[in-house]
Amino acid sequence: MNEHIVKSYEDELNVLTAEVTRMGGLTEAQVADCLKAVVRRDQELAGQVVGHDERLDVLQMDIERKAIRLIALRQPMANDLRKTVAAMKIATNLERVGDLAKNIAKRTLVIIESEPMTPLTRSIERMGKLVLSRMKTVLDAYTRSDLDRALSVWSQDDEVDEHYNSLFRELLTYMMGDPRTITACAHLLFVAKNLERIGDHATNIAEIIHYEITGEEMISAARPRTDAFQV
Amino acid sequence: MWPTALAGGAGCAAITTLAVLERMWVLDATLAVLAVAAVTGFAILRGSMTGDADAVGAQPATRAEAAAPPYASLVNILPDPILVIAALEPDDLTSRRYIFANSAARDLLKIRDPEGRLVTVIRAPEVLEAVDEALFGAMDAETVYETGGAQARVLRAHARPLGLGLDGSHLAVLVLRDETEGRRVERTRTDFMANASHELRTPLASLSGFIETLRGHARDDVEARDRFLSIMQAQAERMSRLIDDLMSLSRIELNEHVAPTDRVDLGAAVNDVLDAIAPLARERGVALEPRLPPAGAALVTGDRDQIVQVVQNLVDNALKYSESGAAVRLELDVDLGAEAAVQGARPDAARLSLLTPDHSVETYARLRVSDSGPGIARENLPRLTERFYRVDGQKSGERAGTGLGLAIVKHIANRHRGGLTVESAPGQGSTFAVYLPLVPRTVPEGEPVDRRETVTEL
Repeated sequence: MNEHIVKSYEDELNVLTAEVTRMGGLTEAQVADCLKAVVRRDQELAGQVVGHDERLDVLQMDIERKAIRLIALRQPMANDLRKTVAAMKIATNLERVGDLAKNIAKRTLVIIESEPMTPLTRSIERMGKLVLSRMKTVLDAYTRSDLDRALSVWSQDDEVDEHYNSLFRELLTYMMGDPRTITACAHLLFVAKNLERIGDHATNIAEIIHYEITGEEMISAARPRTDAFQV
Repeated sequence: MWPTALAGGAGCAAITTLAVLERMWVLDATLAVLAVAAVTGFAILRGSMTGDADAVGAQPATRAEAAAPPYASLVNILPDPILVIAALEPDDLTSRRYIFANSAARDLLKIRDPEGRLVTVIRAPEVLEAVDEALFGAMDAETVYETGGAQARVLRAHARPLGLGLDGSHLAVLVLRDETEGRRVERTRTDFMANASHELRTPLASLSGFIETLRGHARDDVEARDRFLSIMQAQAERMSRLIDDLMSLSRIELNEHVAPTDRVDLGAAVNDVLDAIAPLARERGVALEPRLPPAGAALVTGDRDQIVQVVQNLVDNALKYSESGAAVRLELDVDLGAEAAVQGARPDAARLSLLTPDHSVETYARLRVSDSGPGIARENLPRLTERFYRVDGQKSGERAGTGLGLAIVKHIANRHRGGLTVESAPGQGSTFAVYLPLVPRTVPEGEPVDRRETVTEL
């Protein structure tokens, strides 16, 4: 009898991590799709991304509900408590990432209306790929409880910032050269900013994983940083 | 039991032979094999697979072991990744488990446990949906998805139902097919068209301009004709260099996912390049200052020609941006951990990793090439490995590069599971560092390692 209780408690914890992982997969797909939509100027895909965002919201609320239920009924301690809290916090971060992806998709719909700017969309694609690979690494780290992998994401946030700065300058040059591109460029700038923030969320998730595994908080000041405004 | 199993086995063998003849058949063959396996010995196979996990009951399981290997090993050696998935209830996410993964699947998805929750190995939503359709809708489903990361792969996933297992759980098989190569070829082709046509137009325009002039008013001007002809030759050479580089880049890209297997002494490769480039360096009055470990110390797993190309491109660049009287330093360090390998040499310069490997290994060999040229501003660093990218204000005619050198270095380093970093500050010169995984030191000294080149070149 006792064993049964423990088992279903563990099941509940496992369901929670599995749901967070599934939500992670959905988020990754949203980010990949919105990126594809910008690069290929794909109106339909952009529309899909906007439509799918609701699923993430539902999942996030579901995970939160389950986590609160688990805390209330099982009163998890130590390891289990950290696992539960981490699931809840990661879900919140993923939901934010989903919102940013939706925003990128919405901007894509506007960008499509103006002339294509190949070199710029390339830069966006490169930055997006980098951000995506960080999302993937951090989610892999979560499913495998791999501290080293999480730390590697945490310490490499600089790269994304550098890309953002470089893109910022590129966009400025374009806008100064041809004022007709200003609308599209301004939207692209926000797309880049959103990607940069998705990168920040990946770093946050890495910090949460570190907390989940070790029980210690990370010292943000120790992270190598570039100021995003230092252009 | 045996007659059916034997017939199944014979059928499998026949199908596999066909599959070898015609690669297109493998998937259908696989499914046929699994269908046969499901009907006859699948339950036994499953028993032996899950046996490890709940072996608390300490069943002897000898029968299972005797019967399972034909199917298990057969499915195991198939080149396409195959997973067998079992699930009890549609709305219980954790109940979807993979209960079998062949070795291709274990490699691709980096699976460590013999069975486990499906979502821990695949979380792409479209694949999970396809699996659900096969499990609970009893329908075939197919989708294409892309794994992220520096070594992204495009995979086509086929999910097909396998009916009910002995314990009443729904079973399905998931077969993955790697389509990265095809996509890459397609992509490379379009990129090539876009980039190359633009870059080739410049020298071509200049050539046709000069031809026009030579036909027109410069026809009888001997002096001008000579001058024009030498410019035309330079432009033609530029075009051919460009084409060479483009070809080699697309070749490298096509092989980027095939890890090299040979062993190369990085030190020997550096020496080769130095020997070849010494005359040019002398001509320009630039000193080459190598600091290398003893021969054979920097043994990396790699493709010799490509390693030489990496060193060549880095040294070429350093030489190109060095003034007369300056020096180009080459430092080769071995036995560095993943963290030490990315460490910088210039504390006050901007530093950026242009390529970070997906997975770090134990030890790396790192080659640093430093010049004391004009240096690169921080905001230009991220774009250095972009094809045809030139730092602002640098005219393409001034230096004889094609704009592809660093892109080539990056792709070769990626193929070798290595990394690339750059450090630079305006006015202080630049340092490029490439690090490659060392051959693990399990091989005792003097083992069959080909050091021929080292011996002849030193």
